[in-house]
Amino acid sequence: MRPIVSPKELNDLRDRLRAAHDPNHTWVQLCAGTGCLACNCEPVAAAFRQKIHDEGLEGVVHLKLTGCHGFCERGPLAVIQPQGIFYQRISPDDIEAIIDQTIKHGKVVTKLLYRDPASKTRIEKAEDIPFYKKQVRLVLRSNGHIDPTSIEDYIAFGGYSALAKALTTMEPERIIDEIKRSRLRGRGGGGFPTGAKWETCRNAKEEPKYVICNADEGDPGAFMDRSVLEGNPHSVIEGMIIGAYAIGSHEGYVYVRHEYPLAVKHLTIALDQARELGLLGPNILGSGFAFDIGVSRGGGAFVCGESTALMASLEGKVGEPRAKYVHTVEHGLWDKPSNLNNVETWANVPLVIEHGADWFASIGTEGSKGTKVFALTGKICNTGLVEVPMGITLREILHDIGGGVPGKKKFKAVQTGGPSGGTLIVETRDAKIMRSMEDAGEISPGDAVTSLLDLPVDFDELTQAGSMMGSGGMIVMDQDSCMVDVARYFIHFLIEESCGKCLPCREGLRKLHEILERITKGQGAPEDILTLQEISETLIDTSLCQLGGSAPNPVLSTLRYFRDEYDAHIRDKRCPAGVCRELVGYAITEDCVGDAKCAKVCPTGAITGGPRNLQVIDQSKCIQCDACYQVCTFNAIVRVKRDRAADVQTTARQTWKPVKERTQAEARA
Amino acid sequence: MPKVNMTVDGRPITVDEGSYVLQAAEALGIEIPTLCFFKYVKPYAACRICVVEAKNKRGRTRIVTACNYPASEGIEILTRTPRVMAARKLNLEMLMSRCAPMPVLTDLARKLGIDQPRWGTGTDMCILCGLCVRVCDEIVGAQAIGFASRGIERFVTTPFEVDSDACILCGACAALCPTGHIRMEEASDREVVHSEITLGPNAAISVPFRQAVPNAPRIDPEFCVHFRTGGCKVCASVCPKECISHDDVERFEEVEVGTVVLATGYQDFDPTPFKQYGYGRLPNVITSMEFERMNNAAGSTGGKILLENGKEPRAIAILHCIGSRDENAHPYCSRVCCMYALKFAHLVKEKTSAEVYQLYIDLRAFGKGYEEFFHRILEEGVNVIRGKGAEVVSAGRDCQEGSLIVRCEDTLAAKFREIPVDMVVLCTALEANRDAKDVARRFGISVGADGWFIERHPKLGPVSTTTDGIFLAGVCQSPKDIPDTVAQGSGAAAHAMSLMIRGEVEMDGAYAVIDDEVCSGCRLCNDLCPYSAIGFDETKKTSSVNPALCKACGTCAAGCPSGAIRALHFADDQIYAEIEGILS
Amino acid sequence: MSQNTPMPERVDEIIASYQARTTALIMVLQEVQQEYSYLPPEALQRISERMDLAMSQIYGVATFYKAFSLEPRGKHLVSVCTGTACHVRNSQSILERLERDLHVERGHTSTDREVTLETVNCVGACALGPVVLIDGKHYGHLTVGAVEKLVEVIRQCPCSVEH
Repeated sequence: MRPIVSPKELNDLRDRLRAAHDPNHTWVQLCAGTGCLACNCEPVAAAFRQKIHDEGLEGVVHLKLTGCHGFCERGPLAVIQPQGIFYQRISPDDIEAIIDQTIKHGKVVTKLLYRDPASKTRIEKAEDIPFYKKQVRLVLRSNGHIDPTSIEDYIAFGGYSALAKALTTMEPERIIDEIKRSRLRGRGGGGFPTGAKWETCRNAKEEPKYVICNADEGDPGAFMDRSVLEGNPHSVIEGMIIGAYAIGSHEGYVYVRHEYPLAVKHLTIALDQARELGLLGPNILGSGFAFDIGVSRGGGAFVCGESTALMASLEGKVGEPRAKYVHTVEHGLWDKPSNLNNVETWANVPLVIEHGADWFASIGTEGSKGTKVFALTGKICNTGLVEVPMGITLREILHDIGGGVPGKKKFKAVQTGGPSGGTLIVETRDAKIMRSMEDAGEISPGDAVTSLLDLPVDFDELTQAGSMMGSGGMIVMDQDSCMVDVARYFIHFLIEESCGKCLPCREGLRKLHEILERITKGQGAPEDILTLQEISETLIDTSLCQLGGSAPNPVLSTLRYFRDEYDAHIRDKRCPAGVCRELVGYAITEDCVGDAKCAKVCPTGAITGGPRNLQVIDQSKCIQCDACYQVCTFNAIVRVKRDRAADVQTTARQTWKPVKERTQAEARA
Repeated sequence: MPKVNMTVDGRPITVDEGSYVLQAAEALGIEIPTLCFFKYVKPYAACRICVVEAKNKRGRTRIVTACNYPASEGIEILTRTPRVMAARKLNLEMLMSRCAPMPVLTDLARKLGIDQPRWGTGTDMCILCGLCVRVCDEIVGAQAIGFASRGIERFVTTPFEVDSDACILCGACAALCPTGHIRMEEASDREVVHSEITLGPNAAISVPFRQAVPNAPRIDPEFCVHFRTGGCKVCASVCPKECISHDDVERFEEVEVGTVVLATGYQDFDPTPFKQYGYGRLPNVITSMEFERMNNAAGSTGGKILLENGKEPRAIAILHCIGSRDENAHPYCSRVCCMYALKFAHLVKEKTSAEVYQLYIDLRAFGKGYEEFFHRILEEGVNVIRGKGAEVVSAGRDCQEGSLIVRCEDTLAAKFREIPVDMVVLCTALEANRDAKDVARRFGISVGADGWFIERHPKLGPVSTTTDGIFLAGVCQSPKDIPDTVAQGSGAAAHAMSLMIRGEVEMDGAYAVIDDEVCSGCRLCNDLCPYSAIGFDETKKTSSVNPALCKACGTCAAGCPSGAIRALHFADDQIYAEIEGILS
Repeated sequence: MSQNTPMPERVDEIIASYQARTTALIMVLQEVQQEYSYLPPEALQRISERMDLAMSQIYGVATFYKAFSLEPRGKHLVSVCTGTACHVRNSQSILERLERDLHVERGHTSTDREVTLETVNCVGACALGPVVLIDGKHYGHLTVGAVEKLVEVIRQCPCSVEH
């Protein structure tokens, strides 16, 4: 392709691409994000291609593999355009019906439509589905519509017009001013004003300057950045070029996790295409501005999400953070001024430039503008990627968009900001805890009735409430999650990910883990709580970087909201959620129907009873692997305190009746 | 450098902008404990023991590390608040629970008021301060060791945990390691040079010996890290007078002088070839110079007379005339040995309770007061045996009295004796320097058969040489003791001074001249002249005589094939005229 | 694996494709790892010489990042996601069951060099949790009971599956 040398040529190209779009053709936008790939969308795509070929529909029906549509729970997903019909959980066998009925005859295949559990009706269009209804998709606007491996698609959707505008009509200072006025804040979690950061970097004396995109999305349960890079890499590239122009940089890097091969692939393709079109290189759009971007893959280290560690890693060293008493915007990569922003922040930049700061600032709350992308995971019905305007409440996200907790389980908490950002927001709280919090002045009287779930999503509001926005992972936990175990899990995660440079993080996490491990094993002592708090405070005070500084958050927040669970473990040697293996015993109750599924899965042969009979667990053989619990569809297997398991089993033996007798008895009643 | 004002524990101080809080505190004499800080490597801020509270101008207080927190205007630092002390204590306790109770930790614990670390102590020797890694990288520049793995698994190692070729064996890591976790070891295939005193790698900078002149340190490029890696230069940065330069190169200086005093001294005779004495083979057989060093307060034993095993000897034999008065080595008497051997005996008696045996051929105590000293020694109970030591052998395990046996013939008692001792001191000969002949040739003087420089006249000219303006002082002329050396030196100096004060040289009227017209430029005369007085003029292509050096011996005149050389006042016709005059 | 090209040349090719930039060390190591399934010491030595980097730095990097292994890996790579979303859906039990059934500890390779079992912190397929990756292929919505089938998948496959 011939390089574009002026904004006019870019416009011409866009016009040509749009003109070539035949409204009578059909486009099948099949989601090929990692989530859908993992639920076998490839055979679906192959079946589509085969069928299109068999029917001779090539050139009329186009299959487009797009980035993540967001509704991962229901994958594989496809949207049939121009009608906009949203099909979900498609299997290769459904292709025939889609082509024959929908594409050829315009009829909807009802069984592939989303069924709203509340109204129990089938919904045809994506925008009518509750999951999408409350979302405001700006950053994700083109995800699901464009082919991420095609720069033409991006340009046809209006891509690179913000860059053209910035390069031709705006001085670098104007751009920074615009970003400042938009009040865009860093989406990586800290919420630092982007414009101010750019300005400091621009004013830094040394040359050269670097711009860096942090795509080392290490938080487990977060996949916002991955989805953006996979589904719309050009939006990030465009943002980075604009940023580089504003800051005065000619070299940029994207540091991306190696665990995201698809994102690396799409990003590399996008960079090559942009270079070919002259959107990266020595003379971008004929403006004389030179800039290029390199891709650097991480080696699998969570700590490299920290800016100084990331830069060390970029330099080919181990990802050890250093003290940030001197900021990276002044001394960063190779000791030169370096401006680092997260993927989502960069993707927001073209939006601000194209639509103006005023438009951007009109979305969201006073302190937090625009939208935020969240990855909803854990014990929630609609796992997926959502983009919501700032100011929306957590309840709306979790209940209206997320569809609440599956099964008849009780919601317990939501965890945001990853392992070290982690703060838990709870809905139902113990009255006693509420009172003690009131006494401590942590909440004002009366607040006790308003759930923390009604907090608006806003950098400052969440911070004030003792929570934080985080990078966007939201992990929902229900009654089956043990909060002591959750704290132990996060500390264990951080032990494996700590770089080991500074003493408090290395030794402190080890100590915290020792203590938590003891508690989950029923060997905790009452003074452990104080020790946990003491170590946590020292970690916060003296750790070198934010990994250590925020590492105790999971411990402190679970201690604050779920002290009763700690007490149960320490005092009663009991795990209320039935998670901590050493404290839990499995027993089968009288609800057993005798289908013996549990006996089949038991790896140690601890369950016996024979068909249509009460199943019994031999406690001496049971290794608490949870297999039986997961397989029982009648909730007949219970997790109880270890020493009570035998009693429960005995009771069941006395009261159990065969299913037949039970139904007869019910009939009589 | 712009200055900033700040306070540490309420005490104001003005420091350079960009310097660190730890430096400011140090300047005020306020101690902040550290584990991973070392002045000459970049602050690492890993141990977090040096944390302090910093309150900035806006009143915001936070915990920072003093080692790398930059001083700024108006900042208030508090080094001992309860929050700071609690954090330091807890961090140390956590570290101690993993590490062995090493002094660096237990001392700090005591300072911080920890009686018993709450989780006890562990076994690990490494506190992961990274000093070794950083010194190897930043100063030595070898990058031989590094951190491996991460988090709680982190440890310091060489790549693949095997001997690293990148290691230059400088020992900086071991020297800096606060716990002794890093040691230097002899590697079978690598040469690690241990110096006598430190039992570690050689220090690249040292004063050669205590009374060296000039008494100044020097850098040995063979061991200096800078000359191997291009890094380090720590010595230059610590020298307050900025005396150290690594850029200096060896250079030759030319000085024009009118007189030269040669005082090139002597060298010690090496007794190794005399296998019968076991030097270099048997333990505790040493030379007189080594015994002298041992007795020096700055020596290897700090002035104590000790055996190699660190014990005091029970008996010492002092063997005279090793290499002197010996047809197999030097026939001459070294003159000084008898008296210093007696001095040794006196020192041994003074410092230890050991028996001393002197084995001599003749005792030559001829100086003023020397004979009296000999009698004093006898009174001190020194055993004096006339008879040269014949052999030193190992005593074997059964011998109770000593580890060595000295065999000799006691010529006064006419008895063959075997003396058990623990130490044998060999009074080695003084011999001429190996390069004495080269020096002599350079200065146009002569060397005797023994290698000593020959004076102009054994009785009338003991200081001057056959070359005018060249004088001798000290042992280079012949073995002599200190008073004789001083006397000769003074004489040489006086001779030189008398020439210099006059500022001119009185010459004999007789000297050789070369007729340019006749000289063929064959240069035969150049080599013939015993005084190196004839040189060759490259432009004129003829030889010419330096009249100041010419002794008018006439050798050249006689030897010149062209007859171009004429000795002034001794021309052929003049001599004939003289002969005629006598005969008439 | 293109074992045809001898090691020093292949490593040189990889280094050359990144113009021996020090920035690319981690990526060079990744490609070497991909090529040989681990980081052979000779390859590291070559990288040290060619990229003019101290061996200690390369060794530090190779042991710091989780992506690298200094020991040869098994024919099949089984990665159990232990991200938060998978953890709350009980990935721990699945991991333990795999350890028992495959006779290999997490982070290690079975003695017959068939299987390497490792944990990963989130593969981003949280909707499918708990997830296990076998040679790069996702297996989602797992239960402890389903592990048996997984083991069969691993055992029956004669060679590693290319994806």
